[in-house]
Amino acid sequence: MKRKKLTALLLTVAMTASVLVGCGGGDAGGSTETAGSPETEGGGSNETAGTSEDGKEIIDFTMFIAMPGPEINDGNEIQEIIAQKTGVRVKETWLTGQTAAEAVGTIIAGGEYPDFIDGGDGQMALYDADALVAWDDYLDKYPKLKEMYSDEEWDRFRQADGKIYWANIFQNTYGESKATTHNDEAFWIQAKVLAWDNYPEIKTLDQYFDLLERYKEANPAMEDGTEIIPYTILCEDWRYFCIENAGQFLDGYPNDGSVIVNTDTMKIEDYNTSDTTQRYLRKLNEEYNKGIIDHEFATQTYDEYIAKLSTGRVLGMCDQWWDFAYTVNDVFKQQGLDLKGCNYVPLGLTIDAGMDNMWHTYGDTQNTANGVAITTSCKDVDAAFQFLEDCLDQEIHDLRYWGIEGVDYLVDEDGLYYRTEEMRMQCANTEYKASHLCGYSYLPQYLGTSRDGKNAMQPPEQTSEFFASLAQPLVDCFNAYGVTTYVEMVGSVDKETGPWFPMYSFSNNMTTETPGGVAWTKMGEVKHEWLPKVVMSDAFDSAWSDYMTAYSGCSPEDFLAEMQTELDRRAGQAQ
Amino acid sequence: MSRGKKQAKQKITWKEIKRQKVLLIWAALFVIYGFIFYYLPLGGWIMAFQNYKPKTGLLHSKFIGLDKFKFLFGDATFIRVIRNTLAMGTINLVTSFIMAIVFAILLNEVKNVLGKKMVQTISYLPHFLSWIIVTGILHDALSSTGIVNEILLKLGIIESQINFFAHESYFWPIVAFSNLWKETGWNAIIYLAAITAIDPSLYEAASIDGAGRWAKIRYITLPGIKPTIMILLLMNVGNVLNAGFEVQYILGNGLVQKVSQTIDIYVLNWGISQNDYSLGTAAGIFKSAVSIVLILIANRIAKRSGEESLF
Repeated sequence: MKRKKLTALLLTVAMTASVLVGCGGGDAGGSTETAGSPETEGGGSNETAGTSEDGKEIIDFTMFIAMPGPEINDGNEIQEIIAQKTGVRVKETWLTGQTAAEAVGTIIAGGEYPDFIDGGDGQMALYDADALVAWDDYLDKYPKLKEMYSDEEWDRFRQADGKIYWANIFQNTYGESKATTHNDEAFWIQAKVLAWDNYPEIKTLDQYFDLLERYKEANPAMEDGTEIIPYTILCEDWRYFCIENAGQFLDGYPNDGSVIVNTDTMKIEDYNTSDTTQRYLRKLNEEYNKGIIDHEFATQTYDEYIAKLSTGRVLGMCDQWWDFAYTVNDVFKQQGLDLKGCNYVPLGLTIDAGMDNMWHTYGDTQNTANGVAITTSCKDVDAAFQFLEDCLDQEIHDLRYWGIEGVDYLVDEDGLYYRTEEMRMQCANTEYKASHLCGYSYLPQYLGTSRDGKNAMQPPEQTSEFFASLAQPLVDCFNAYGVTTYVEMVGSVDKETGPWFPMYSFSNNMTTETPGGVAWTKMGEVKHEWLPKVVMSDAFDSAWSDYMTAYSGCSPEDFLAEMQTELDRRAGQAQ
Repeated sequence: MSRGKKQAKQKITWKEIKRQKVLLIWAALFVIYGFIFYYLPLGGWIMAFQNYKPKTGLLHSKFIGLDKFKFLFGDATFIRVIRNTLAMGTINLVTSFIMAIVFAILLNEVKNVLGKKMVQTISYLPHFLSWIIVTGILHDALSSTGIVNEILLKLGIIESQINFFAHESYFWPIVAFSNLWKETGWNAIIYLAAITAIDPSLYEAASIDGAGRWAKIRYITLPGIKPTIMILLLMNVGNVLNAGFEVQYILGNGLVQKVSQTIDIYVLNWGISQNDYSLGTAAGIFKSAVSIVLILIANRIAKRSGEESLF
């Protein structure tokens, strides 16, 4: 009896303890933890402390990224090597089950920040809360970091108080561009669908859906009997751009995100109410009622969407490459679906034939709305900046993106990096990625050419790697259209974007302080509700007019006026 | 407590205080606890009357009077959100209340002890699942390839799958159902306990007088647990505006947001996501005020009709 009681007592204690530990782990903010202090992480095992190559103790930094992402294992092999070399280890935490703004808002309300943060849509809130360290006093001490942008580009990151608080780390090319992928938005279609129709010219939205219809008619099911879904649309949370912004592209404009900039008149235009958007939605509505569009599209979550694409059932969708390709393409490779032509190729569609499209942006897009920042909670700001600097060191950069020489890639006699088929397979394996690879994908990085002048900074851009890893159906498809890369497949015109581009870097950071910001929030709410409703309605015209009534009720003119002011400011600044 | 008033006033002497020292210390601990965790945070309500910014903090933010409240009541979304909260809260209250009592009585009528225990255990287990899991199950079960659609199709009740989460009219019933499924067993426990406390001799006497099962329930069980019912009803009325957050947040989507958003979600959207902490606080104050008024009204009604009351 006594023994039983003792066991019960122990159990209770153990459970309480586990609850407490659970709370600690769930803390969205995380806190600075230096490996020097022995009591890190509620007494949990801390196997990872240690010293770096030069004998200094390794500093553990935390980082929150307001985007969903893959968590890597503790003791990840490359992470440890980087820690040995730089003396810094960064524990990344990603967004789960919340929107970016909610997560950042919660962190601010808590008042304790991780050392590094990329606040996504909530970046401005961090600035407003005085949570970030200004870079101005540090930047000159770190030449590699400073080299990331020209002075003019750095100036664009300056906030209202004239200081720099963060740097966006994406779309930054070192040396010559090696872009092969279309890392932008497009209407995507499986290579096998194009092959089935002998690679027709698909230039307009109508042709696109016509092909999907005919393909479905002829092949209603996959080989294993699952019914195909000709077209699906992701509408969840901020990812509803998949339904929301096609109107601007179909009209031949680049991705300003929230508005169209008419370069002839230098006026802001609203694509939400444009004829093209109406025609686009009318088309979607028609296809929905024909059963071409997934009937569950409006209620699916991002995970369900990715799972659906990964089965190869979905023939096409409109999306950004980075939103699906990294996950879905790896699954295709593992399942052998890439050999059946399930990979997606981008089409640069326009609403009418004979128009230029600007789906692809050739130059780097500098999105100043958010990026990596160091918070006031960081105890060793110099070490943090030093690590950002080290991230751009070629050796560390290679470790992050290529992996370990001899294990993840080989070097041929010309000094070119390459991977064997086995290595490629391994690098597409989720478990391997978690235990071995450590990309630190939201810390400073480059695209383009490596400092050795031969290799690409990142493997997907290595021309030889790109072609070697391309599945046969994709090669056939590219050959048939006489192109070599995804970029050429889209066939966008190479027109330079203005210095104001992209306008979304302004609207992303609007707050409800201004009438325009309130309008922007309300417009978002209305569009979230009405876009799927319009597509799913039995009577398009009345649904559209209801939508327009609700939309104009948000006073979009307040929003557009503020966008115009910003456009004038940016255009004026450049002159 | 009302009895205390009628008693003659007792003089508090030092001796008496010393004698009750331990009790007083314990009581003080809870008063301090209550003060720190329930009353102190109310100081934050001041935010609702400021243009609060994390940078300037509570002490240095600008006072703007009732501006935030004006914005709230001028916002059609907020009005809709109040309606949703009240509607879902009331549906939840009524259904879960009735179901719990019915379930407790039915369970009490089961004479097989083993079966009774088993049903009781199984029925209250869902209470321990987190809403994340419950909504996950619901989401799967109600998806177009889920079990519900499958069964309805097989039985020929519907011709093609229904997307349950795409129709505004299904949302409230789904929420109510999920609440029932999760909480009925748990809520019934307290009634079962109350039923056990009823003197068995009453039932025996009733049997001798020829009362059947139905009559016994009606004339003994129900009146026996009436005080419990009243107290629980009172407490739950105050909770009507806590119609939920997780269920609506997770199951809701753009299509049904008109009926799915509750006050809590509104607070999250504007207070946390848009960093308008003042507006969020104002909405929270409104919610608390309405809850207090509801409790007072319910309490008054209970007192008038000569039933148990909270205070």
